[in-house]
Amino acid sequence: MPAIVIAGISGVLFFLGYRYYSAYLQTHVYGCDPAYVTPAHRFTDGVDFVPTNKHVVFGHHFTSVAGAAPIVGPAIAAFWGWGPALAWILVGTIFAAGVHDMGSLAVSVRHGAKNIGTIAHDVISKRARTLFLLIIFFLLTLVNAVFAVVIGNLFVANPGAVIPIFVEIPLAIGIGQYIYRSRSAALVPSLFGVVGLYLLIWVGQEVPIDLTGFADAIGVDNPRNVWVVIMFAYAFIASRLPVWMLLQPRDYINSHQLFIALGVIGLGMLVGWNTIAAPVVNDVPEGSPSIFPFLFITIACGAISGFHSLVASGTTAKQIDKEQDVRHVGYLGAVGEGSLAVGALLAVTAGVAATRADWSSLYPDFATASDGAVGNFVNGVGVFANNLGVPLDLAVIFAAVVVISFAATTMDTGVRLQRYIVQEIAEIAGWQKLARNLTLAGLVAVAVPLAMALLPGGGDAGYTFGVLWQLFGTTNQLTAGLALAVVAVWVTHQGRNPIAVLVPLTFLLVMTSWALIVNLKNFVQADEWVLAPLDAIIFVLAVWLMVEAFLALRRSWGTGTPLEGGTPSDDAGAARATGSGDRAG
Amino acid sequence: MTRVVLVRPWVDARAGGGCCGGEVSDGVCLEGTHDTEAVASDPVGEAYRRLRAALPDVDVQVVDAGNTAWLLPSTFRAVRRRAGVAAGLRAAVGSTTAGAVLVDGDRVGDLGDLGPDGVVAAVQRALAATG
Repeated sequence: MPAIVIAGISGVLFFLGYRYYSAYLQTHVYGCDPAYVTPAHRFTDGVDFVPTNKHVVFGHHFTSVAGAAPIVGPAIAAFWGWGPALAWILVGTIFAAGVHDMGSLAVSVRHGAKNIGTIAHDVISKRARTLFLLIIFFLLTLVNAVFAVVIGNLFVANPGAVIPIFVEIPLAIGIGQYIYRSRSAALVPSLFGVVGLYLLIWVGQEVPIDLTGFADAIGVDNPRNVWVVIMFAYAFIASRLPVWMLLQPRDYINSHQLFIALGVIGLGMLVGWNTIAAPVVNDVPEGSPSIFPFLFITIACGAISGFHSLVASGTTAKQIDKEQDVRHVGYLGAVGEGSLAVGALLAVTAGVAATRADWSSLYPDFATASDGAVGNFVNGVGVFANNLGVPLDLAVIFAAVVVISFAATTMDTGVRLQRYIVQEIAEIAGWQKLARNLTLAGLVAVAVPLAMALLPGGGDAGYTFGVLWQLFGTTNQLTAGLALAVVAVWVTHQGRNPIAVLVPLTFLLVMTSWALIVNLKNFVQADEWVLAPLDAIIFVLAVWLMVEAFLALRRSWGTGTPLEGGTPSDDAGAARATGSGDRAG
Repeated sequence: MTRVVLVRPWVDARAGGGCCGGEVSDGVCLEGTHDTEAVASDPVGEAYRRLRAALPDVDVQVVDAGNTAWLLPSTFRAVRRRAGVAAGLRAAVGSTTAGAVLVDGDRVGDLGDLGPDGVVAAVQRALAATG
């Protein structure tokens, strides 16, 4: 079947989900009220709380949630065949991610635009805040670890990408300084930055940087590990720079790359009319991870991502003009991420191979499939770009540069966020030295995921990347589970039917727990004494979450009292804000 | 309705790492710091508040310079209607200038140069000029 047909069908289903299911959620589940005075109006200050046009907020929200993460999961999950992976992306986006992203935004708007961790403390229990911090700590640890490994693998497989990626750093800083000092429009210099970056691809191809010899000389078996160390050193330094100096101009360049990559994927599969080489359901070797439950934690971002609840409730909720806008911003944000995931899946099932035999050689077993997943995506996008006339070797480096640029930015941001989390946990634990020392907190934020990425495990081949990725997916789903639990309790308190929230919540908790138990058994049997304790800790967090969610829901079924505007939590939000807050629009 | 757009200054604009990076904020889990003094003296916030007070019927939007997905098409559409495609394209490119003050797509000044009172005056002049 032509890939473009699958893309078209997916687009139609996403449209129907937005048109009908999000309307149902808006009216019957979240009860969005056009007359409700949102925090953006109540606490207007022109800085954080600003009533903003829904299209402006969507632009902000989508660029805050769209990145590299929805690429990796589908690229691994193609191992089970394109059918199950596509089905989970579509069903997950329409019935889970949309519910989650829109619900996180709606509940935050009804609680003074507070973030989901604070609302969990308010509506579930005081312990839920600590639980949330711990889940986020493990989530960010695994995010940083897996993206360092992704970048390391891509540098080893595509040494031509090294020069463009490392020259992009001073290029972005220079562009940022130029925009800042000349006060010129950002678009033109940032487009020059993109062009410069792509010209460097040719230089990179001529001068590939391979660290195999260096790794041998210092006694490191796998050159990937040298890149991992370099990337964490980079992330530590980059995270200490002001946001506007490096992160922002590179983010600007990346936003152009996002649209270019989406255009290349869409146009490339249309022009090339690539057909899907992968089977609908793959006949996987005996002993492979089964579809249930592992597919559902392998594809987290792209089907449902708990991380979106942080963005939705952190800054987006403060800008919502009318309560009904949560549908446009929240649900469409989820659909945008799902579209990226569909594109990634098509690249690794239609782009990367022309025949079933070729495809099967790339996905012979789970370890090979997961280790090569991102490389397969890069090669698949390279083929789509080649359909548009770009020479294949340059096209592949182009795709690698796009993925690494996104992954490096995620690491930069992830290390910054992890530093805040370390400080917050230290504050709660009373470790004042750690809580107040930025360098120390930054070192902890780097050391833990670095150890996770480097510590030996998995026999001679090292970690099976897919296993590490699944642990990341599990913590991401637990974050989503906690956000959905908060939303479910709130919906129940409003006296509305929470079934639309409870179904994805239950499904996620069952799948994550099931996967954690199976993995724990496998890790213990394989003497994996790094992964087994990590898995056990995450399982304890999952059980803790289930108990908290159940108790909170039982309480809310018993009371049925509304929890909305005017609650003590809102008053606290009002005390923190400076604006007066009359309704103005 | 007339639309005024305040593009955040470069050092104030927001950036992030996409899904699982998100926007940089120290309030990722708890509430983070909320410096009320900084909010009160923030030039964008002050200009915004004064515009809302002086011109309550005007639609005021605060937009990040990186939000090209909205800035480029909305500015292009607004200017093209009055002045044609070429002017629309020039205005769209100019709309990505950090600190720009736009009135219906036309750039009337810079937040840093004008100051909060100057922004209000510049917008009022632009409104008077267009009738």
